[in-house]
Amino acid sequence: MEKFVYIALFAPLLSSLLVALFAARPKMLFTGILASALIGLSMVASFVLLIDVNANGALHVKMMDWIDAGNLHVPFGFVVDQVSVIMMVTVTLVSTIVHIYSIGYMDHDKSFNRFFSYLSAFVFSMMILVMSDNFVGLFIGWEGVGLCSWLLIGFWYHKHSASWAANEAFIMNRIADLGMLMGLFLIYWQIGSFQYDIVFAAVKSMDITIVTTIGTFLFIGAMGKSAQFPLHTWLADAMEGPTPVSALIHAATMVTAGVYLVIRCGELYTLIPHIGFAIASLGAFVAVFAASMALVNNDLKRIIAYSTLSQLGYMFVAAGLGAYWIALFHLMTHAFFKSLLFLGAGNVMHAMHDELNIKKMGGLYGSMKATAILMSVASVALAGIYPFAGFFSKDKILEVAFNHGAYYLWFALFIGAGMTAFYSFRLVMLVFFGEKEHPKYGIHPHEAQPFVIYALMPLGLLAIIAGFFEHSFEGFVTRLLSHYEVHLSHGTEWALIAGTSAIAISGIAFAIYMYSRGGFSKSLENRACYKLLINQYFIPKLYAMYIMRPFTVLSHFIWQKIDVKIVDATVDMIAKIVYGTGTKTRQMQNGNLSDMLRWMIVGMVVLLALAIFYRPMV
Amino acid sequence: MDHILSLIVFFPAVAGLLGFMVNKDSARAYGISVSAIEFLLCLVLWIGFDGSNAGYQFVEYSPLIPSIGMSYYLGVDGISLFLALLTSFITMIALISLSIEKDVKNLIISVLFLEMTMVGVFLILDVILFYAFWELSLVPMLYIIGAWGSAQRLYAAVKFFLYTFAGSVLMLVGILYMAFLYHDATGVWSFALPDWYLLQIPFDTQLWLFGAFFLAFAIKVPMFPFHTWLPYAHGQAPTIGSIILAAVLLKMGSYGFVRFSLPLFPDAAVYFLYPIAIIAIIMVIYAAMVAYAQEDMKQVIAYSSISHMGIVVLGTFAMNAEGITGSIFLMLSHGIVSGALFMLVGVIYDRRHTKLMKDFGGLASVMPGFATVYGIMLMASVGLPLSIGFVGEFLSLAGFYKVSWIMTLLAGTGIILGAIYMLTLYKKSFFGEVTHEENKGLKDLNGKELTALVPLVALVVILGVYPKPILTTIDMSVKKMLVLMEKKAIDPNTSKFIINVNSIGGTK
Amino acid sequence: MITLTHYLVLTGILFSIGLVGVMRRTNLLMLFFSTEILLNAVNVGFVAVSKYYGDLSGQMFSFFIIAVAASEVAVGLGLLILWYKRNGSIDLNSLQMMKG
Repeated sequence: MEKFVYIALFAPLLSSLLVALFAARPKMLFTGILASALIGLSMVASFVLLIDVNANGALHVKMMDWIDAGNLHVPFGFVVDQVSVIMMVTVTLVSTIVHIYSIGYMDHDKSFNRFFSYLSAFVFSMMILVMSDNFVGLFIGWEGVGLCSWLLIGFWYHKHSASWAANEAFIMNRIADLGMLMGLFLIYWQIGSFQYDIVFAAVKSMDITIVTTIGTFLFIGAMGKSAQFPLHTWLADAMEGPTPVSALIHAATMVTAGVYLVIRCGELYTLIPHIGFAIASLGAFVAVFAASMALVNNDLKRIIAYSTLSQLGYMFVAAGLGAYWIALFHLMTHAFFKSLLFLGAGNVMHAMHDELNIKKMGGLYGSMKATAILMSVASVALAGIYPFAGFFSKDKILEVAFNHGAYYLWFALFIGAGMTAFYSFRLVMLVFFGEKEHPKYGIHPHEAQPFVIYALMPLGLLAIIAGFFEHSFEGFVTRLLSHYEVHLSHGTEWALIAGTSAIAISGIAFAIYMYSRGGFSKSLENRACYKLLINQYFIPKLYAMYIMRPFTVLSHFIWQKIDVKIVDATVDMIAKIVYGTGTKTRQMQNGNLSDMLRWMIVGMVVLLALAIFYRPMV
Repeated sequence: MDHILSLIVFFPAVAGLLGFMVNKDSARAYGISVSAIEFLLCLVLWIGFDGSNAGYQFVEYSPLIPSIGMSYYLGVDGISLFLALLTSFITMIALISLSIEKDVKNLIISVLFLEMTMVGVFLILDVILFYAFWELSLVPMLYIIGAWGSAQRLYAAVKFFLYTFAGSVLMLVGILYMAFLYHDATGVWSFALPDWYLLQIPFDTQLWLFGAFFLAFAIKVPMFPFHTWLPYAHGQAPTIGSIILAAVLLKMGSYGFVRFSLPLFPDAAVYFLYPIAIIAIIMVIYAAMVAYAQEDMKQVIAYSSISHMGIVVLGTFAMNAEGITGSIFLMLSHGIVSGALFMLVGVIYDRRHTKLMKDFGGLASVMPGFATVYGIMLMASVGLPLSIGFVGEFLSLAGFYKVSWIMTLLAGTGIILGAIYMLTLYKKSFFGEVTHEENKGLKDLNGKELTALVPLVALVVILGVYPKPILTTIDMSVKKMLVLMEKKAIDPNTSKFIINVNSIGGTK
Repeated sequence: MITLTHYLVLTGILFSIGLVGVMRRTNLLMLFFSTEILLNAVNVGFVAVSKYYGDLSGQMFSFFIIAVAASEVAVGLGLLILWYKRNGSIDLNSLQMMKG
């Protein structure tokens, strides 16, 4: 089975390297096909491993040593257990589809080959992230996906906004990574190892304050990758990247790495429920906070990005409250329907010639039936309507919050569910139904190529049926993750399901009702709360005003005032004093005999004075 | 193999002397072959090096002036081996990439002499000769900056020379006083470093001697606030000067800390640990912010060197195997990465005769190969895992975490600030539309430049993925040094401190 | 009664006069005079002290000084005349060929 581990891991790397050879050349179709095939191979290997893990349990592979200094030993080791194999399957499945989809989507791009190289490199990094058996290995993948995200957000680097967003994403992630590094250092000096099994065995007997610190530091890392408040602004800006990238990286896989980390460290976080609760609270806050921004936004991709943010909040609620398998389940189902939603949005963008304002679309159902159906399916799944995938996973999370007695969290999530349903269908309505706005802009939309639609079919299918695997999924992953016991009576459970479904359906109904009659009146746009939401609570502006600008000003001040005017000027001043003394005293040597005689006498007097007053030897 | 160290030290100088007779047109080829042979000799040294022996190897000893204990004493251990290797490698690569036409013969001879002094500093074990090599290294560099630099070259050259020279004079006093102490204790004169290692020095004396050595090393590193010669030197030096300056000359300072300050004066080193750590943190943050404010591409990299050297110093003063091994590895990785970055700036300077970022923009579409190599080096510079930059930075910071977590956190902001200024540089120069007409016709990397850069890229990746052979060799010698420090410390608290920071458990 | 102190005071006064002359005068000839005064001040001192101790070496030394001074003046005056013939001035400030 070892060789399947290596195939799953290195096929994407091979793909990336092979395609990179042609990166500078004009478009070559075979690079896309080769990359898709190799990622597909990785997916097959992952499925084989899934079956194997199901039958024979976890697999542990140590490839070679990496860092070795002092007491610190880090190997390249990989573990394929119930959690990582689920991640592998999810990642490779979505990646394969996104690769195939991109062949169509990037068709006209002159950097076609380069795109596939980056995309495969991302898959490789993500595989390292989920497969590593130690924290430093995870950190490799962690930074690796950050790099690929940087490359891919800034893929159209000639656009200022794209390269700006890329840098913002990288730097925000770096801030969080520092927190994670600190956590790693603390783990090392406490335990002397980075291996998951050793660490999780050791934390059980450790001082609880230290475990708390470790948990906090690691979660700071997770906050950056998963774009949790206050490090969330990069995710919406990251939509500057090509849409397949948004689907793969900024919806399905990379952003869920933070959730994966918390799930992976479940054994650590169960020891510190107060931190877990804080994580859950933050998650609930983000769930509502992000959903509220999605309510009013008019940018097709940003709406879905905020929705991703919001769903990540749901996952953190589950993970924070100790329901790790439920968080993982929602992670998986979310990956399916959210990437479907994004890829559908990509089709729309293509049809609309990269127009993103949903107010300018409308009535696209006529020309893009397949895409419309697929996106509607994804939206229903996202809204959490039975029997679609989102229903099973999201409902479970609400149940967990209620069961935990965290009624505030539950209520927040409950409201969030309603908002989710509303904005999803606001989007569907404005894009596919209602008045046709696009002819005013001279755009004639057309459906995407057939193979693109076929590539999306599996995702559509999974968005519908993935929920039914709930029990087998639970049975599989809880061999590793802790069980979560729900102590609610059947009646309460049913009431919760009914309540959640009711608010979701009413959200959908409200959206359909409002937008089928032309939407809200314009006067709403002058309200303060609308302004607040459309400007993302003014947070990006605040960051620009109070962090970026002062930093720039301070940097210039340090350089021009302190470095040049003080530090360097001091050095130059010392040199000038020496030099100036020389120039001054040079006049003693003016060649004038009588001056010399005078100096001679001065010297004589000084020597005499010395001889008289300073006689240490006597 | 008996005299391989002498051969390595003096071969470049002898070849440099012979170089005066070489025809001007073949000077470049001559320089490259000499430096390549030197590199091969260093490789032979590495192959012959016994990785399981932590002590000095290939030792050559012959008394020079026995009456005052001066001797010709060469030896190599895990700490100096790779620095010598780095020196010869970087010199070779820098000569390959050389694009100066004017007076190229004299330039090459200067570089070869410089190589001798640098290798000499790392391999010599007699302190007086160490001092001689240390000071001699200034002379060729003075010529390189002063003769082949840009407009303000004389100011920069003189500043570089006088600043570093003034700093090391105090070290000479320290050296002489050390010898005097040794004579007092044993009755014989000796300037041999291994002899000095065995000497226990009273606490107060240690503090003074530490200070005397510290100034010389701090200026060389360069530590805040003694760093201001560096931006001028880099700003005015020709590309080859900057490469060698950043890659090797700065490492002489940090090597001095490891070789002299720590093992000779362990109590003083522990005593001064926090002030030095604070300076190192200031270096990291301050230089990173200044780098962010720069408009000149080369100055960004010059200040980034200061920032990275801050982490080197921090790792060194972590006083544990992880930190010191990490800091030595970081010296190597910074040598390779900053050398490559300066070379890349030279590539674009050769084409456009400007280094200002506002004159570029959109280079990624005009020069994709250049942008790729630049991107790789940039990522190595910000310490991306699986690149060479990560290993040293990770180990240095990890080592210092044991001493103080809050200081590590502050120094760790360097990885954020590093990303900020590097990515800003990359965005300004490579991304966006091509706005300047002159940039549209720029040629991508040519064969010569690729020959110089590809080995660097290869090393960045190979050593990032598999640093183990280097790390274990360094680690062995570092551990030996730590044992020595712990044993010879006067103050029992020092020994306790060293044992504590080297053991797992009990950290906050 | 004239004591050693009186002689030494005289020496001091003479020496000071000579010193002031050396410092203030710019005429080379005057400088020679001042130098002579300095030397003779010292001579007086030597002789007085020599008498006081009853040791003749002081007096012998002053003879040497007189002899050396005489020859020095001879050479010096010769040079001075030569200089005067060439430059028409024996002002010290005109003698600045060594100015750096």
